[in-house]
Amino acid sequence: MVARGMKRKLYGSDNGGGSVWESQLQSVLDISLDKFQRDQALVEPSLLRSVLITNTLRQVQSVVKTHLSGVSFHPKLHTQPKKQPELLSTLGSIPAGHSASLCSLGVEDMEDDLMAWPSEEDLSLATAITGILNDLDAALDDDCGLSVPQRLPLASMENLPGDGRSKQNSTISHKTDGCRASILGNSSHMSNYLQEAVIDDLLLDIDTNVFEAEANSVSPCAFSFPADQLVKYLPPFSNSSAVSLTPASPPMVR
Amino acid sequence: AMAGVGGGNDFQWCFSQVKGAIDEDVAEADIISTVEFNYSGELLATGDKGGRVVIFQREQESKNRPLSRGEYNVYSTFQSHEPEFDYLKSLEIEEKINKIRWLPQQNAAHFLLSTNDKTIKLWKISERDKRAEGYNLKDEDGRLRDPFRITTLRVPVLMPMDLMVEASPRRIFANAHTYHINSISVNSDHETYLSADDLRINLWHLEITDRSFNIVDIKPANMEELTEVITAAECHPHQCNVFVYSSSKGTIRLCDMRAAALCDRHSKFFEEPEDPSSRSFFSEIISSISDVKFSHSGRYMMTRDYLSVKVWDLNMENRPVETYQVHEYLRSKLCSLYENDCIFDKFECCWNGSDSAIMTGSYNNFFRMFDRNTRRDITLEASRENSKPRAMLKPRKVCTGGKRKKDEISVDSLDFNKKILHTAWHPKENVIAVAATNNLYIFQDKIN
Repeated sequence: MVARGMKRKLYGSDNGGGSVWESQLQSVLDISLDKFQRDQALVEPSLLRSVLITNTLRQVQSVVKTHLSGVSFHPKLHTQPKKQPELLSTLGSIPAGHSASLCSLGVEDMEDDLMAWPSEEDLSLATAITGILNDLDAALDDDCGLSVPQRLPLASMENLPGDGRSKQNSTISHKTDGCRASILGNSSHMSNYLQEAVIDDLLLDIDTNVFEAEANSVSPCAFSFPADQLVKYLPPFSNSSAVSLTPASPPMVR
Repeated sequence: AMAGVGGGNDFQWCFSQVKGAIDEDVAEADIISTVEFNYSGELLATGDKGGRVVIFQREQESKNRPLSRGEYNVYSTFQSHEPEFDYLKSLEIEEKINKIRWLPQQNAAHFLLSTNDKTIKLWKISERDKRAEGYNLKDEDGRLRDPFRITTLRVPVLMPMDLMVEASPRRIFANAHTYHINSISVNSDHETYLSADDLRINLWHLEITDRSFNIVDIKPANMEELTEVITAAECHPHQCNVFVYSSSKGTIRLCDMRAAALCDRHSKFFEEPEDPSSRSFFSEIISSISDVKFSHSGRYMMTRDYLSVKVWDLNMENRPVETYQVHEYLRSKLCSLYENDCIFDKFECCWNGSDSAIMTGSYNNFFRMFDRNTRRDITLEASRENSKPRAMLKPRKVCTGGKRKKDEISVDSLDFNKKILHTAWHPKENVIAVAATNNLYIFQDKIN
């Protein structure tokens, strides 16, 4: 497990911004998922290879889980965009090594807002992610080697306006608008995006650039939602000769 | 240059021979998958993806042919394994030879074990240079004689004939492995051997094919809990009760067969603590051990992981005594190497006869040698360009950054399709065999 705020150390030589780390995380996830899916399509994938790839996926998942549980989404970001610069400068002053949890910052206004974080958001978010993951499961179970699983429309996940495939960092205000749009359920952006959305896009999109200025750049997900939901549905390692993922309740990965 | 086997002299590796087609177009079946000298070094065996075994024999040095100087020439070629089809699981079993291991020679014939993913075979290679003539019941072309026409009895006599080398399968050890066999190792008792697949290790008696003993089983009850597999196994060279096996998590377990029938519990556990500063998503994959070899002395063992070779003292479990970087410049390229699957390449390693030096392969047809005493290392290349008889090999260098010097090659120019996975060192002399895809290179020390 990676300690909170210590993500940078995963890539020791990389002292760039969090976006570099994110793109690396994204690459590893993309590549791992691709290999996993291709191997499942083989009649007899190599056990060594499968184990190594699955362990890598689990690592990614574990990292994501750590950050999901460590960072809360700050509602101010989508309700009061004007306060962005102030918030960001505050965040920017967090020295490396501190927890990314906003609760520990002692920034007075924030605490109340965090308390007021609506729970429906949590649920809808969780549901959406569950949906995506179920699709991934189903696609893998299908065993027909589909490279891109079909996705259910996201209810409230999307926060990247315009081209959903863009992985570039957007400005904060831009992002904020996107957040609002997604939470309100703007589906016109979503359907395009969703055609190709995979869990990695999800992780990247949910978040992060909000805290771009933070030195200790941050988790893929700025929302606080039950990490369990997310991690539960990453595909478990299955016997090479029988692809038998059970979408209903996949036994999971610790 | 490195200290020689005798100590004190530097090696000067020279090209000796290359076997195999020159074609740029490599047939998949011709790709060499294993290389092994026999105990005396007189014979050199290779196995390929097409299931064939080719054995080379060293020419006796003689005054008549001074230039041959101990050259290896084809002695025997045979088809060891054929592709099979498992009807139950509806999958094809590759004929690729994963490993060859020689048995110590006990009579005029030579014996070796060869294995593919599922089946191990014991082959007898014998010479025939005499033929019996003058049979009573059949005539010279083998046709049966009419018994009523036989009026006299004679004793057949042995007549010389052209040397013929025959390979015949003497034992077939099948149906004992559900998963893919990665290792076989002959025990020092010369009666038993072990075979290892991803999850299990079996002990066989060379005479008995219809059963084997399972001595290690790491298969979890629920396959979804599987996080580690067996990658290699070897018997101790002197203690017939001891063997080791390595895992995909970079650990080695030493087991004593006297302790229990099932060696799931190890006697020793070798693992180097991870360096937290170099941790990445690929840490586990690159720690996976692709080969483990005991030293000839039996005091040490060597493991090969993706970027390094480590020498372990059997008496020290918590860290290796020596670590050699094979191609550390690849560490910053791991993501790309993961993407193109090179990170899964399984490099082997080997000791020289006196355990003073170790060798392993790399990319771009480079191979590396490390002298354990002087700590000097050298990078050499197996290529047709350096193939003039007795031409000395020039050391190669990979440029890792900054200005590339003349004769250096930059990391980005390396050909990752040219990988040296299999190398072997003559048990007594400074002669090495290096498999470069479909070609077998033999290099000798000039002093030889």
